[in-house]
Amino acid sequence: MSAPVLNYRTRGWLRMSIEKQDTLLKMAVLSLAAVLSFSCRLFSVLRFESVIHEFDPYFNYRTTKFLAEEGFYSFHNWFDDRAWYPLGRIIGGTIYPGLMVTSAAIYHILNWLNITVDVRNVCVFLAPFFSSLTTLVTYHLAKELKGPGAGLVAAVMIAIVPGYISRSVAGSYDNEGIAIFCMLLTYYMWIKAVKTGTLFWSTMSALAYFYMVSSWGGYVFLINIIPLHVLTLMITGRFSHRVYVAYSTLYVIGTILSMQISFVGFQPVSTSEHMGAFGVFGLCQIHAFVDYVRSHLNKTQFDVLFRAVISTVAFGGVLILVVLTALGKIAPWTGRFYSLLDPSYAKNNIPIIASVSEHQPTAWSSFYFDLQMLTFMFPVGLYFCFSKLTDENIFIILYGVLSIYFAGVMVRLMLVLAPVMCILSGIAVSALLSTYMKQIDDVKADKKKAKFEGNYFMRSEIATLFVCIMSVFLVMYTLHCTWVTSEAYSSPSIVLSARGHDGSRIIFDDFREAYYWLRHNTPEDAKVMSWWDYGYQITAMANRTILVDNNTWNNTHISRVGQAMASTEDKAYEIMRELDVDYVLVIFGGLTGYSSDDINKFLWMVRIGGSTDKGAHIKEHDYYTAAGEFRVDKEGSPTLLNCLMYKMCYYRFGQVYTEGGKPPGYDRVRNVEIGNKDFELDVLEEAYTTEHWIVRIYKVKDLPNRGA
Amino acid sequence: MHCHLYIVVVGVLVASVSGTFDNINRDIVNKKIERKLDVSTQLVKANTKITLENSGSGAVRSFLLVLTKEEQDNLAFINAQIGGTNLKLTESKVQEYRDLVFYKVELKDALQPSKTVNVEVEMVFTHLLEPYPAMIQQGEKQLVRYKGNHYVLSPYTTTTQTTTVSLSSPNIETYSRLKPSAHTDTSVTYGPYEGVQGFSVDPMSIHYENNAPFLTVSRLERVVEVSHWGNIAVEETIDVLHTGAKLKGSFSRYDFQREHNSYSSIKSFKTVMPASAKDVYYRDEIGNISTSHMRVLDDAVELDLRPRFPLFGGWKTHYKIGYNVPSYEYLYNAGDEYILKMRILDHVFDDVTVDELLLKIILPEGVRNVVIETPYPVEQLPDSLHFTYLDTVGRPVITVTKKNLVESHIQDFTLHYQFPSVIMLQEPLLVVVAFFILFITVILYVRLDLTLSKDDATEAKMRVSSHCELVHTHHDKRARCYEKLEEELQKLKGSKDVAQSQTSTKKLQNSIRDETQIINDLASKIRLDNSEYADRVLELQKMDKILRECVTQQLVNVEKLVAGKMSKQQYMDTDGPLHKKKEEALEKIKNLLGNI
Repeated sequence: MSAPVLNYRTRGWLRMSIEKQDTLLKMAVLSLAAVLSFSCRLFSVLRFESVIHEFDPYFNYRTTKFLAEEGFYSFHNWFDDRAWYPLGRIIGGTIYPGLMVTSAAIYHILNWLNITVDVRNVCVFLAPFFSSLTTLVTYHLAKELKGPGAGLVAAVMIAIVPGYISRSVAGSYDNEGIAIFCMLLTYYMWIKAVKTGTLFWSTMSALAYFYMVSSWGGYVFLINIIPLHVLTLMITGRFSHRVYVAYSTLYVIGTILSMQISFVGFQPVSTSEHMGAFGVFGLCQIHAFVDYVRSHLNKTQFDVLFRAVISTVAFGGVLILVVLTALGKIAPWTGRFYSLLDPSYAKNNIPIIASVSEHQPTAWSSFYFDLQMLTFMFPVGLYFCFSKLTDENIFIILYGVLSIYFAGVMVRLMLVLAPVMCILSGIAVSALLSTYMKQIDDVKADKKKAKFEGNYFMRSEIATLFVCIMSVFLVMYTLHCTWVTSEAYSSPSIVLSARGHDGSRIIFDDFREAYYWLRHNTPEDAKVMSWWDYGYQITAMANRTILVDNNTWNNTHISRVGQAMASTEDKAYEIMRELDVDYVLVIFGGLTGYSSDDINKFLWMVRIGGSTDKGAHIKEHDYYTAAGEFRVDKEGSPTLLNCLMYKMCYYRFGQVYTEGGKPPGYDRVRNVEIGNKDFELDVLEEAYTTEHWIVRIYKVKDLPNRGA
Repeated sequence: MHCHLYIVVVGVLVASVSGTFDNINRDIVNKKIERKLDVSTQLVKANTKITLENSGSGAVRSFLLVLTKEEQDNLAFINAQIGGTNLKLTESKVQEYRDLVFYKVELKDALQPSKTVNVEVEMVFTHLLEPYPAMIQQGEKQLVRYKGNHYVLSPYTTTTQTTTVSLSSPNIETYSRLKPSAHTDTSVTYGPYEGVQGFSVDPMSIHYENNAPFLTVSRLERVVEVSHWGNIAVEETIDVLHTGAKLKGSFSRYDFQREHNSYSSIKSFKTVMPASAKDVYYRDEIGNISTSHMRVLDDAVELDLRPRFPLFGGWKTHYKIGYNVPSYEYLYNAGDEYILKMRILDHVFDDVTVDELLLKIILPEGVRNVVIETPYPVEQLPDSLHFTYLDTVGRPVITVTKKNLVESHIQDFTLHYQFPSVIMLQEPLLVVVAFFILFITVILYVRLDLTLSKDDATEAKMRVSSHCELVHTHHDKRARCYEKLEEELQKLKGSKDVAQSQTSTKKLQNSIRDETQIINDLASKIRLDNSEYADRVLELQKMDKILRECVTQQLVNVEKLVAGKMSKQQYMDTDGPLHKKKEEALEKIKNLLGNI
């Protein structure tokens, strides 16, 4: 008959107030997001090994190693004679040192703590580490814009967004890996500065800007978008003392600091890209002054004065700018920036910029591939920002709209777009969910009220449905991101892998095989000629001098190499003697079906080779058939079939059976039987060819003895 | 260890430099010499059986072995033994023969007049075979030339001697003939030669095909890192050079893939590691070398190493190989005294020749009195320190080096040292302390308020939250009293002792009243900062009042029931609604507390 015992206690063993629960939840979500963003970038390390990827990272790795071993000053004064033979390269003055300094600092701190990690591992894991930091910064940025909810969603989204992962997987040791962090940090500081109007935050944003300048050339985007923000605030009548303090401080300190980077030097005061920022700085002063004057005059007096002053100043300013540009005091915009404004500029004028695949305009599909649901949530986020305009929302709107334009021009700038997509989508998802979640809750609490509000039909059901759909979207997003990361962005490209007939994994380690052979079995001072793509890898892994590399600063030199590759053997021999070449290295995929080989890149060599005076005799149409096709079989143009590149790639290939049922010399990339089969090389001899023929190295023969 | 080495080094120095010359004992006669020269690999292995006779009248205690300067330069290993026991060898000089090198072999038991003794001498020479021609094309066979002496070089007269040279193949270009000599299949026999005078020389030359791998380890750095947590990590950094005939002209991958028996190149070789080796890795400066196969055998782990590229004559490569072995197989201790017994040099490939070996043994922090013993003389370099994870004072590193080694040098060293086991605790404690400091710092940092100006809003918020916290605590106390009250109720039903129950329930009710009063006070405090929360607390109090009334009513009812003033049916009727009311009140209290 005893009544059931009632539970009087209301709390479990973990006593927490609401604030504490809130903090715990935020911390948990954030730290999980940070861990997630680190760990989902490790696919390539787990599948292959802890190795540096691609091309540019090898240069960064090599310089970092130098910095870590030799110290900052010798790094700063480093003249590299291993690259750009015979010109050499002043490394200290031609790079953004932020990346190297960061990893060298981490390396030294770890080793000082007796945590013996080698430089390579620091480099490999730097990008994932910084993406964890990016996750945290994104949270704070979005929190400033909308609130902690949006911050958390944005943080989780940026942790796995493929557009960012593509440049920050473990081993992809490139400037962008830390630059995105620096960029978002600067934005966060800037927003803080605009919100508070304090010197502290403004100076912090200048420091963050300095870090950004030291690490990536993309800082120019930053130094244009912040002035643009200020300008927009002025136009919309939102200019205030806060903005004045924030921008004046940022511009002055930021510019002075950025000029300390020797690669940047006097550019901030002398090139067109930076003039916008300077102009806005001037405008700020004028605007502030005008505000001051206005507060002391009545309206009519002020209007007269205002018109007179404004027209003189504007006219004078434009005049000075034009004169300075004409006199060459202000450098005109560089090619890459022209191609930003006019996507077809590079194609028509500078083949070397156009030849890089990441400088191509972006395809629609890659927007979806890299951003998935963010593409659709982005406008929603914009809507929410517009619906409640604040100073900081204007900033994110500007950033979003501008970067979506730039990302459309150049594939590479997808990276700049990805964070703002995440932030805006975070705002959208959080706003939508908090609206609809309330609907589910409210119904329970006051049923009676709901009955009177007849205009909401099945309120709670629809809200539930909406939340479910949103959850499905988010889950799909996660699945998509994981899939893309694992399939598309996690191959080191230095080690290739393929599936065998029985499903087992075959590894093509030919690049390292060849580089290692060069490293140990050629003279220490041997000069290696190859297309510029492989320059960084050869210097880093083979430790040999090369003629051209991925830092494509000297167009004529690259063009000379292109001419050698595109000429006949005797002509090429002259060029090679002139350039003092000992070995020539080509990439050939005909045996394995590796499609990004030198024959497929060959047309670029012809174009770049023919783009200078010395190579005027090299004409692109000579390498096409009469029908205008690029073919390597019997129909191919004789110029192509007898040029050096063709001969080096296909030397003795005519005897090899590559596929059953096909004649010998069947090229598996072009899917044809090659046209010119039995030839001997006169001025070169095969020095080494890797196991799968992907890399072929030739030795340039010495001049024949006179008597012989 | 120092002493041991010191003696060896000084012994050699004294004999060779300071000029104590040995004399050639004319009483000794080589009654019979049988020499076997094995030149089928890249090494020259000479195995000589000498029958010594004492033709004099005094006992003979030692005899001399002699080598040419060239042989001495390439001598990797020398050993003399009688019936399995090794004899003591020291380098020495003879005044009359300044350009020859002598080894003095001390006999265990003095050789009495007209007695004989059989001595077996083993010598291994490296780099004595010369590729001839020095350069060959890809696919050609390698020919080498061996130059030696038809007679066994000896300071003593030899009665009869024979030499058998075993080759790697029957293809011989030319060989020097000193009758009687014979060539059968893969060997050439010289002799027997009778009555050969001491120091007789007659140049021998054999030019033959030898396709055995001519691989030289030009430098081997072996690092053994001992951990007292049960693991020994071994890492070997190896420079390999193909010292056979150099490759002439180009290397054609097409020909290389078509011909399966490419004589002049080495595609792979086998390295044998200890059976307990695990976590094996094989890499170089630019990463993992993906072309290797491991086979675990019963008594060893066999690794089939394929360098990144095939090695032709003159080509070289460099790689690292490493593995872990459990320490119980190599580390023995009695208390704090430890002995480490491991190989100075381990197997790299068959018939290896190592030009230079550097052995580093990294011992745990806190190790003292290290003494190393080696089976053959090595040079010990100054000790150094190695810093790695969680180190404070550094780990002592013992370094020894030796030049020109062959397989016969694969022997154990013995390392004695002392290690107080208390030091084992140092590293875990270090981690604990580090984390402790970290947490303390975070705790302090979170609690520190460094702002100069007073922020009323935040402070009010903090006050409210601390008061709310107190409300929770006191409510919990109250809840516990209610629970006890319920227990009393149940007890009363069983015991029917009204008087006793009343005293205890009184007490509980009083304490409930006290807690309620405290919460009321808190509510008024909260009202100063935030009236919304205060209202919630008052609401909570209201609910609590209802709850209390119900409980009191129940109590009265039970007392009545026990006293018989109420029928069971009546009690049941009243108790039901009361219970329901209680439940409702509790539900609301829970909700309210969730929002405070």
